[in-house]
Amino acid sequence: MTGTSSAGRNTIELQGVSKAYPIGKSHVTIFDNLTMTIEDGDFLAIMGPSGSGKSTILNLIGGIDTIDAGTVSVGGTALNRMSPAALTRWRAAHVGFVFQFYNLMPMLSAAENVELPLLLTGLSRAERRKRIATILDIVGLSDRADHLPSELSGGQQQRVGIARAVASDPQILLCDEPTGDLDRKSADEILTLLQLLNSQLGKTILMVTHDESATRYAKRTLFLDKGRFVPDEVRQCA
Amino acid sequence: MRLSSSMLVRQNLTRKLGRSILLVICIGIAFFVFGVLSSFRAGFEGSEARSERLVVVSKIGGNETLPLRYLETLQGTEGVASVTHITRLRAHVAGNERNIIGANAIDPESYAKVYADTYVFDPAMMRALADNRTGALVGRQLAARENWAVGDRITLTSFVHTNQKGTNDWSFEVVGILEGTEPTVDTNFLVVRYDYFNAAVVRGQDRVGLFGLKPAPGTDLDALSARIDAGFANSAAQTRTQNEVAFMSAFLQQFADVALIVNLIVSVAFATILLIVANTMIFAIRERTLEIGVLKVLGFSGGTIMRVVLTETLVLFGAGLALGFALTAAAIPVLGDALRSVVPDLYMTPRVIGTSLLLAIVFALLTGFLPALKALRLPIAAALNHR
Ligand SMILES: Nc1ncnc2c1ncn2[C@@H]1O[C@H](COP(=O)(O)OP(=O)(O)OP(=O)(O)O)[C@@H](O)[C@H]1O
Ligand SMILES: [Mg+2]
Repeated sequence: MTGTSSAGRNTIELQGVSKAYPIGKSHVTIFDNLTMTIEDGDFLAIMGPSGSGKSTILNLIGGIDTIDAGTVSVGGTALNRMSPAALTRWRAAHVGFVFQFYNLMPMLSAAENVELPLLLTGLSRAERRKRIATILDIVGLSDRADHLPSELSGGQQQRVGIARAVASDPQILLCDEPTGDLDRKSADEILTLLQLLNSQLGKTILMVTHDESATRYAKRTLFLDKGRFVPDEVRQCA
Repeated sequence: MRLSSSMLVRQNLTRKLGRSILLVICIGIAFFVFGVLSSFRAGFEGSEARSERLVVVSKIGGNETLPLRYLETLQGTEGVASVTHITRLRAHVAGNERNIIGANAIDPESYAKVYADTYVFDPAMMRALADNRTGALVGRQLAARENWAVGDRITLTSFVHTNQKGTNDWSFEVVGILEGTEPTVDTNFLVVRYDYFNAAVVRGQDRVGLFGLKPAPGTDLDALSARIDAGFANSAAQTRTQNEVAFMSAFLQQFADVALIVNLIVSVAFATILLIVANTMIFAIRERTLEIGVLKVLGFSGGTIMRVVLTETLVLFGAGLALGFALTAAAIPVLGDALRSVVPDLYMTPRVIGTSLLLAIVFALLTGFLPALKALRLPIAAALNHR
C-alpha cells in the first residue's frame, strides 16, 4: 500500500511499468519505466498514434496482459502478483470492457448478452432479470431486449456492449475506441452515455480514442507517443 | 454456473444450425455403419459357439476330411469327456442351387452328448431318428424358413457327394424339429444319420469333416489341443484342434474374404467420417477464439469455458450416436432377414453398444478438448485480436 492512494478505494496506479513484446530473437519495447495514477471517478481520454501502446495500457489495467517490470495496482491490490484464476475473478468484479467492435455473442439476445457477466455473480434469476431491465433502461434499449445483435444498429450494439460492461457494477470501465466504428451521431450518444455513467454513477472511465471531439466528454486527456505520455504543450508545439 | 453453460452451449449449437445438423447426421451414419458391421461380426462368430468345446479338423484346411477311426483315439485321449463327428453334405434344396442348406451327417448318440448344452435332444425325437435311417432333424429356424414339418419328405442335392443310385440327390424324412436351449442359438441347419450317409456315399467312406469334443471338467484346453495334435503328428492326416469360437471364425474366414474387404472399407469409411467430423468441430471451435477471449475478459474461468465446449461436442456426438443406434435398430431386422443363412441371429450386442458409446465419448472429448485448450492457452490480448 502506498500513502498516495488515499483519495479513493479504486485508485489505479502504474509504477515503473516496463513491457516489451518479443519479435523473433529481439523484442520491441512498448513501455519503459512508465508511471501514472488515475483517481477513482476519473474520466480519462487517451489519444496517440497507432502502435503507441494505448490498448496495451487498458489491457494491463484490466489484467489481461502482463508486465515485465514494475507494478500495476488497483485500490492497493497488485495485479501482477495475482494468479491467473484470481485475476479472472478480480476482473469479473472490478472492471468492465467496452470494445471497438462490440464483441457481443451473436446468438444471444441483447438481454442475454447483458446477463452473461451476471451469471458469474450470486444473483438469482429474478434478481438478474431486474438488473438487466434497469441497465437496458439506462442505455435506452428497453424495447430491444430480445433482439439479436445482428438486428441492432452499430450504436445500439455498442450500447449493449456498455450495458454488459456495467452489468455486474464494476467500478472501472475500460473502453478501447468505443466510437471507432460509429457515425458522429451514434458516437455522440455513446459518449454522452459514458459521461452519464461517470458523473451519475461515479464510474472510473479510461477511454482510448482517435476522435479529437470525443475528448470533450472526458475530464482530461493524455497523449501517448512511443510509450510515453507527452505533455499537452509539447504536443501542440510539435 | 450451470445456467451459464446451457445458455452458451445453446448459442453455439444453434449458431450454424445447418452445420450442427449435418454433423449429427454424419456422426449418426458413422455409428450406424459401425453398429451394423459390429453386430454382423458378432453374429458371424456364432452365438452358439461355446469356447469350452474343441473342434478337431484337418490341418490342411476346412475342405479336407479326417479318418473316422480317429474317433477311438480321441475318445481314449486323457481329458476328453465325449467326442462326436460331423460331416457336411454341402447341399442345396433340390431344384434350387441358390438355396443352400446347412446339412450335416452326424452320429446321433454322441452328438447329443457333446452338444447337450446347445440343443434340446428330446428322447422321443431321438428315438424317431434311431428308427428311421433316412430321418432328419431340422432346426427350428430352418424349418420355419423352408416351411418344413415333421413327416415331410425333403430332397437335397449335394454339390459333391454322389450316392449308390448314381445321383447327388439325397432324400430324407423330417422326423423332428431341433430346438436351441436358448433363443440365440443358431438352428438354421439340419442333421441326418452318418451311418446311412456313409453306407450310401460312393466316395469318401469312413471320412468325416470334423470332430467335436467336450473336455472333461477342469481340463487345460490348450494343453489338450496340443496333446491331440501331437498324437496325430505322424499320421497321414494331421489335425488342428482349436476351441469352437476360434474355429468358427477361422471357418468363416475361408469364405469371408469378401467380408474382410467389406470390413476394411467400412472401417475406413467410419474413420474417415469421424475424422471429417472432428476436423469440422475443431475449426468450428477455432472460429470462436475471439469469443473465448471475450468470455475470459468477462471473467469466465478456463474451466467453465472448457466445460461449455465439451458439453457442446458431447451433445453433438450424443445426438449422432442416438441417430446411429436408431438407424441400426431399424436396419437390423431387415438385414437379419436377408442374411439369415450367413448370420442366423443378427442383433445389437451390449458389447457393440458399449463400444459405440465409448468411441463417441472419446471422440467428443478429443475434438472439443484440443481446440478449446488451444484457445484457452492463447493470451487474452492475442485472442481479442483474433478475427
Ligand atoms: N501480441 C503482440 N505481439 C507483438 N507485438 C504486439 C502484440 N500486441 C501489441 N504489439 C505491439 O505493441 C505495440 C502497441 O500495441 P497497442 O495495441 O497497444 O497499440 P495501440 O496504441 O492500441 O494502437 P492502435 O491505435 O492501432 O490500436 C504495437 O507496436 C504492436 O505492434
Ligand atoms: Mg489499440
